[in-house]
Amino acid sequence: MKYCIYFSFLLICISINGQSNVTVPALEKDSFFESKLTGESFFENKQYLGDQYFNNDWAISDILLSSGEMVKNKNLKYNGLFDEVIWMNSSNYGKYKLDKSFISEFWLKIAPGSTLHFKRIHVDGPNESHPFDIFVQVKVEGKVSLYIHHKITITGEENLYVNNNLYYFNRIGKMPVYYIKLITNRYVKMSGIRLSSFLKVFPEEKKEITKLLKENHLKIKTENDLIKAIGLLNKQVFLEN
Amino acid sequence: MKLFKKIKFILVIQLVTFAFCAMNAQDKGKEIAFLQTDRTVYVAGESLFYKLYVLDEATKKCSNRSKAGYIILRAAHLNPPIMIRVKIEAGMSNGSIVLPDTLTSGVYQIVAYTIEMKNFGEQQFFHKEIVIANRFEKEFKYNVLNPVSIGNSISKCPTLHPEINTDKTLYGLREKVKVILNKIDLKGNVAVSVYEDPQKLVSDKSIVETLSEYVDAPTDSNVLTCYSNENKSKILRGSVIDSKTSKSVRNAKVLLSCVDTIANLQYAVSDSNGIFQLLLNNYYDGKELFLTIKDMPANQSWKIETEDEFAPSEKWSPSLISETVDNNEYINKSQKIVYINKSYPLNTVEIVQPITDTPFICPKLFNCPVKSVYPAEFVALDNFQEIAVELLPLVSISQNNGKYRAQMINATNKMIYNYNVEPVFFLDGVFVDNINKIIGLGSDQIKKIDVIDTERIFGDLVFQGIISIMSKSNEIRNTIPAIQSKRLKNDNFNTGIRYVSTDPGSIQNKNIPYFKQLLYWNPDLEINGTYPASFEFYTSDNSAKFIIKIDGISEDGTPISSSTGIIVKNQINTSEK
Repeated sequence: MKYCIYFSFLLICISINGQSNVTVPALEKDSFFESKLTGESFFENKQYLGDQYFNNDWAISDILLSSGEMVKNKNLKYNGLFDEVIWMNSSNYGKYKLDKSFISEFWLKIAPGSTLHFKRIHVDGPNESHPFDIFVQVKVEGKVSLYIHHKITITGEENLYVNNNLYYFNRIGKMPVYYIKLITNRYVKMSGIRLSSFLKVFPEEKKEITKLLKENHLKIKTENDLIKAIGLLNKQVFLEN
Repeated sequence: MKLFKKIKFILVIQLVTFAFCAMNAQDKGKEIAFLQTDRTVYVAGESLFYKLYVLDEATKKCSNRSKAGYIILRAAHLNPPIMIRVKIEAGMSNGSIVLPDTLTSGVYQIVAYTIEMKNFGEQQFFHKEIVIANRFEKEFKYNVLNPVSIGNSISKCPTLHPEINTDKTLYGLREKVKVILNKIDLKGNVAVSVYEDPQKLVSDKSIVETLSEYVDAPTDSNVLTCYSNENKSKILRGSVIDSKTSKSVRNAKVLLSCVDTIANLQYAVSDSNGIFQLLLNNYYDGKELFLTIKDMPANQSWKIETEDEFAPSEKWSPSLISETVDNNEYINKSQKIVYINKSYPLNTVEIVQPITDTPFICPKLFNCPVKSVYPAEFVALDNFQEIAVELLPLVSISQNNGKYRAQMINATNKMIYNYNVEPVFFLDGVFVDNINKIIGLGSDQIKKIDVIDTERIFGDLVFQGIISIMSKSNEIRNTIPAIQSKRLKNDNFNTGIRYVSTDPGSIQNKNIPYFKQLLYWNPDLEINGTYPASFEFYTSDNSAKFIIKIDGISEDGTPISSSTGIIVKNQINTSEK
């Protein structure tokens, strides 16, 4: 009861104080003037068995455009199969594939208090046939950074009867790819989480890192191990200036 | 004990809410303006240097809200007035206005304001009177304006008066003057002007007097109109009106684009009063704006009316008192000095263009790869229909009763996407409301054609394909705007020139006259609150009494104002010369 009284008192205080000083109808038109998203119609192909989206439900998201402007509260899904950001326009409920080069970063608010940060990176390494842009989830950022590309790939095929008609389907599944950004700003791809692959990324610091991992009982077998290891590298091996 | 705890808790809540509301109040108060000029009397052809302060009325601190300000120089006989738009950074702006040679002699008024101040009518604007004399008018009699009544109002405005110390009070010609501004305990920013005392010509309003006027003015919180803050950049405001009924049209889509090498677009939807607002960032500075209404019904006759942000709501009628001042001596001297300075090519005042600006953001229509066709690489074709047939396989153009229609063809099944919906055309970066305007363009005129054959979205606008044509010589300018379209020129922010005091000792020929009525102008003197601020300048061959005047504002919103005088000993009499 007493908390109710306190809370009511707080509300009264705010409302009384809030009535003074507000003299200008300062029209906050930030969202009104914000940049317009550009993209093209996205038709969801139904010939896949499995989820092609990283988040199956539309997530209210903020987008940082390559122009440096922010666009807020848009319904987005990240499509891991095509590596595209899909936007549901609330005025016509159409689905649109946003222009990749226009998006610099985006934040998917998948649940209250849980926001996943994605950014577009330009991958141009010796292991790649040609340079390309991909969307990756930011896991650790520092001198050395860790990003996860939530890739969804075709894992097999299947013929299924639907309404007595035989249809051909592709089976799809998650296949995350880990990218480590080195202090030279080069991205190195790790397809699997293994200690040997991890150490290969840092040939010059191999001994130091092996010792550090042993001291911290890290075996680099899970995604969490990798996140902790990169965090340790930033704290103890590649010190921030 | 429990009761004491409860009281303490309640007090803490009160404190928190007061602090919260005070923080909010800082952002929601009115804006006020103060403009300091280098002098109050000018000869046509000279430059007027200014420093504009935009302050929050409640806190008197520099306002961070408005990023654009407007300055008008007007007179009863001057039509149109001189109007400039200035860029405001951290509540301040400075620059100069060139006073045209053709201005007639008389009393002029400077009006300074932000768009937000328009919400409270013209009484919220800053007003100041100056005298301008034409170079060729010899008899000059004018009425003195009512002096500013300060009365007791100064006491309502706590002020800092830093003492201005000069190394002496009497100076010779072409001598260095060192000025030290005594330390004040606060940081601040002031504008400094050293100019010849015009005696009783016109009163120069200080920042204290201006702020006191705002204190004295009846607080009218009634909002006259609803102007948005220009807290990012200039806002183009207008309305969509039915020209037959003169009624406002709601939900009309107003498109804005301008001539560029890439298709660009911005749009706004008119509200229930038919009003639309478009944010003009620095990309649009100095460009011609092409406005049009998209999807206007065929039987309607809508038009766009844009608002002139310079148009003051009231006409200025100077409030003169009957006393007519005969001050030919001072004005004639000013005229002679201007004449001398124009006659001798040696310019003793170095004028520097300030460095501007931040990179602009172009509102690109699309940010994806496109298929580009260069007609010059093929056999010459006479018109766009032929180009479409021969070079654009996914564009179909048909003709009916002399009117053309375009449709996009699906690349997969070679069928037309939708017979009722046409793709959008852009010519030289500008939205074109009718294909018939570009149908006559052939290979000779077209440099490049970009085609996007998929359904595109731009904000909430959906386009069934985009065809963007770049002509060789901006053919868009030759097209005739439709009734629902409008073209207007967007002005640049005024930057003006910067005054730099030079050493007369550097003039090699000592026989060349060196006359100045403005010895020093610094619109941006920082006071750091730790050490006394100082500056120096040189006297000229003009012997007279000079005023050193500073006006500005401290970081806590206290006005800073001081003035003193120095005398420069006369050795060359200008009238004899």
